[in-house]
Amino acid sequence: MTLTRRRFTRHGLMMTAAAALLAAAPALAQVPSGKLVLYTSQPEKDAAQTTAAFKKAYPNVEIEIFRSGTTEVMGKLAAEISAGQPGADVLLIADAASMEILKGQKQLLAYPGARTDGLQPGSFDADKTYFGSKLITTGIAYNTGAKEKPSSWTDLDKPAYKGQISMPSPLYSGAAAIMLSTMTARPDLGWKLFEGLKANEAVAVRGNGAVLKSVATGEKAYGVLVDFMAFNAKKQGSPIEFVFPKEGAPAVTEPVAIVKTTKNEAAAKAFVDFILSDDGQKLALAMGYIPAKPGIGSPAWLPEGTKINVMASDIAAVVKATEADKARFATMFGN
Amino acid sequence: MSLADPATLRTRVEETGLLWGLVGLVALLSLLPIGRLIVEGLAPGGQLSATALGKVMASPATWTATWNSLTTAIAGTILATLIGGTVALLATLTDIRARNAFTFCFVLPLMIAPQVTALAWLQLFGPSSTLLKLIGMAPPLGSRNPLYSREGIILLLGLQYAPLVFLTLRAGLRALPKELIEAGLAAGASPFTVLRTVVLPLMTPPLVAGIALCFVSSLGNFGIPAFLGIPGNFLVLPTLIYQRLAGLGPGVLSEVAILSLLIGVIAMAGILLQDLMLRRRDFRITTTSSAARPFELGRWRRPVEIGLWSFAILVLAMPFLGLLSTSLIPAFGVPLNAKTATLANYAYVLFEHAASKRAFVNSFLMSAGAATLIVLICVPLGYFIVWKKSRALRLLNLAAELPYAMPGVVLAIAAILLFLKPLPVLNVSLYNTIWIIVFAYLARFLVLGLRPVISGYLQIDRTLEEAAQIAGAGLPRRLVTIIFPLVAPAAVAGALLVFLTAFNELTVSALLWSSGAETLGVVVFSFEQGGDSTYASALAAVTVLVTIGLMASTTLFAQKLPQGVLPWRD
Repeated sequence: MTLTRRRFTRHGLMMTAAAALLAAAPALAQVPSGKLVLYTSQPEKDAAQTTAAFKKAYPNVEIEIFRSGTTEVMGKLAAEISAGQPGADVLLIADAASMEILKGQKQLLAYPGARTDGLQPGSFDADKTYFGSKLITTGIAYNTGAKEKPSSWTDLDKPAYKGQISMPSPLYSGAAAIMLSTMTARPDLGWKLFEGLKANEAVAVRGNGAVLKSVATGEKAYGVLVDFMAFNAKKQGSPIEFVFPKEGAPAVTEPVAIVKTTKNEAAAKAFVDFILSDDGQKLALAMGYIPAKPGIGSPAWLPEGTKINVMASDIAAVVKATEADKARFATMFGN
Repeated sequence: MSLADPATLRTRVEETGLLWGLVGLVALLSLLPIGRLIVEGLAPGGQLSATALGKVMASPATWTATWNSLTTAIAGTILATLIGGTVALLATLTDIRARNAFTFCFVLPLMIAPQVTALAWLQLFGPSSTLLKLIGMAPPLGSRNPLYSREGIILLLGLQYAPLVFLTLRAGLRALPKELIEAGLAAGASPFTVLRTVVLPLMTPPLVAGIALCFVSSLGNFGIPAFLGIPGNFLVLPTLIYQRLAGLGPGVLSEVAILSLLIGVIAMAGILLQDLMLRRRDFRITTTSSAARPFELGRWRRPVEIGLWSFAILVLAMPFLGLLSTSLIPAFGVPLNAKTATLANYAYVLFEHAASKRAFVNSFLMSAGAATLIVLICVPLGYFIVWKKSRALRLLNLAAELPYAMPGVVLAIAAILLFLKPLPVLNVSLYNTIWIIVFAYLARFLVLGLRPVISGYLQIDRTLEEAAQIAGAGLPRRLVTIIFPLVAPAAVAGALLVFLTAFNELTVSALLWSSGAETLGVVVFSFEQGGDSTYASALAAVTVLVTIGLMASTTLFAQKLPQGVLPWRD
């Protein structure tokens, strides 16, 4: 009995080792190497961490990075495409809408082999051209000196909030534009919500950074803001609180994608693999984001057991509606 | 002198060579990017198409933004001229004390980035004002900030660019011979009559140059209308361009190119107007005497000094204090007091963050390089434009305006379109090197160096240079030994403008930087975007201090420089 068991165990060990070797074989056969250029709109610190961690995982790949605002990254890419030579191999940019547009222009390379198991459903493109890397939700931040405690989007239309709201302008921020089209498509919020915001003299500023400033400094008491910025500021001592509104929080996924013209497909695929791997997801978590794989865990700032209700968004519909929605928003909030 | 005379022949060849070299260079810097944009606007992808043009022209937003751009730029320029002009006259022609220190302080706000200035003023008037909280006078939470308006934009543009008028006019005033003013006063005219009939007419070139620079700068400014105009949905052309860029989608580049050309057309109209104002009049002054200071203020001296200094403190110290107070707190909204004050932000940007150290070196080298090259280009350029009246260069002089007037993002896009592929013939690629940024700086800031130099030439009498020519000195020699020393004060004022502006700029390098070639503006912008405004403020504060240090250290070498070169030294 004992003998057989021992034999079985040894046999088992050998089996496992063989399996491991077999699994590693393809990776050994073509270790990604050479130069890989990443364009990203991640914040400076995150971008540095992402590339450092990738270097560790794939030491033979020389990763170079261009980092700027989403508008700037997309502008640079558009100019390069126009001149017939996109400079990026991989992209890691804020929102799926930008990716959807690039996909429409046939600029992205599909990667059917990407490991999407465990990812939040709907966080990646069905045609496997771009994949969400994390969830960045938008909720309501408020200054600790504020009189009201908002809990839903419609609260912002109440008279008590008049003259005290700031939000990112959908005309200058891609993420805010997605939010606009997502919310206006919902019957329970719709344009009525924004008409109320207009009546309450809400101001649309250039981006999330400006909203954070105005709420943290108390220039405005309430702000429509992305989760991690509010929580990071709170951690550093800013007088700011954050709620996930009960109707749900619109989210962007900071997708990763491969540019069709890449000269280093192996390394580009390795980069996507890395971002979607458990290690890459843990990295997102360590930076203070909600990972795209719910199984990985949730960031420290998220109170234990918080179930984030992410507002569903049909990206294709958003991309179709966005121009008209932005025009309507501009007219509505015009002087 | 006949053509057969070898010396004359050599001079001819030298002059013609230099002239066409300059024509080629200026065309390369200004016409090439503009031409590429026109192609992008009218023939994207090599296919002629008027879609983008039609779309831009049919959009009401285009015309609203154009109107707003015009009104804010004109009103801002008028305000800047009143402020900068008055301050320059008082600080140069009267006997106030500590003038060097004052001039130094008044020029500095130029190098605080417009978005920083805008934020500082917003904070000053807002409920969160760190300073107002200190004295317990902060307005209640949620009050509307009065600066979010057309008037707010005009006010800040006026304050931001008053130093431009001040600097160009001061360079001119220092060439004004004392004798003229003294003669007027001796003949019994009141100081105001002398000012009206002698000083101001002679000062037309520098004043007009300052006004023109102001107008073009206001027209192209993005930082101020972005901060103050977006919340009220008050659009100007640069913010409209950003809006279009953020909108993505096909055809965006063409629309952006056309909108930028629209800004360019307005800027060129302004410059043509300037040409008309300077035409057919003679502003030459023969001597270069020491700075005039004959207006004695007497019992008015103290009030004038107090007035000037309070104003300088308001426009310089206010944004700077705003910057400092933000850089010393751990996070936004934390009140600044002995308990909360921290140097952690400084420690981070100076010691931990690798890119910011590199950025200091990069920005310094690129700005100083651009400033030096621009002076070297502008001195002979001004000579041909003003004294030789070269027609080709006069036209190019107009084109030089364009790259400065359009938003930096657009110039960067033009540079990408131009230099993405390796250069033909040489087969060298400028892309992703610092050289593409240097090219963009040269193209963008050429006009900042050129305007003061041209106004300098208009004021200088040619007799010295003509004497040297008759004595047989060739043009290169005359440029080095006679012409440059004569226009040096104006040229250095221009170089200073270029340096201060480039040292801080953000919009051009935001698209053109690459790993290892970060500029200060890019790093500050990166911090801002990640919500790390406290780091951004710390780095911006260090930048201002470093610049003050650099400017102060040039003062030490002042004895070795020709007289009147440093704008803040008599």
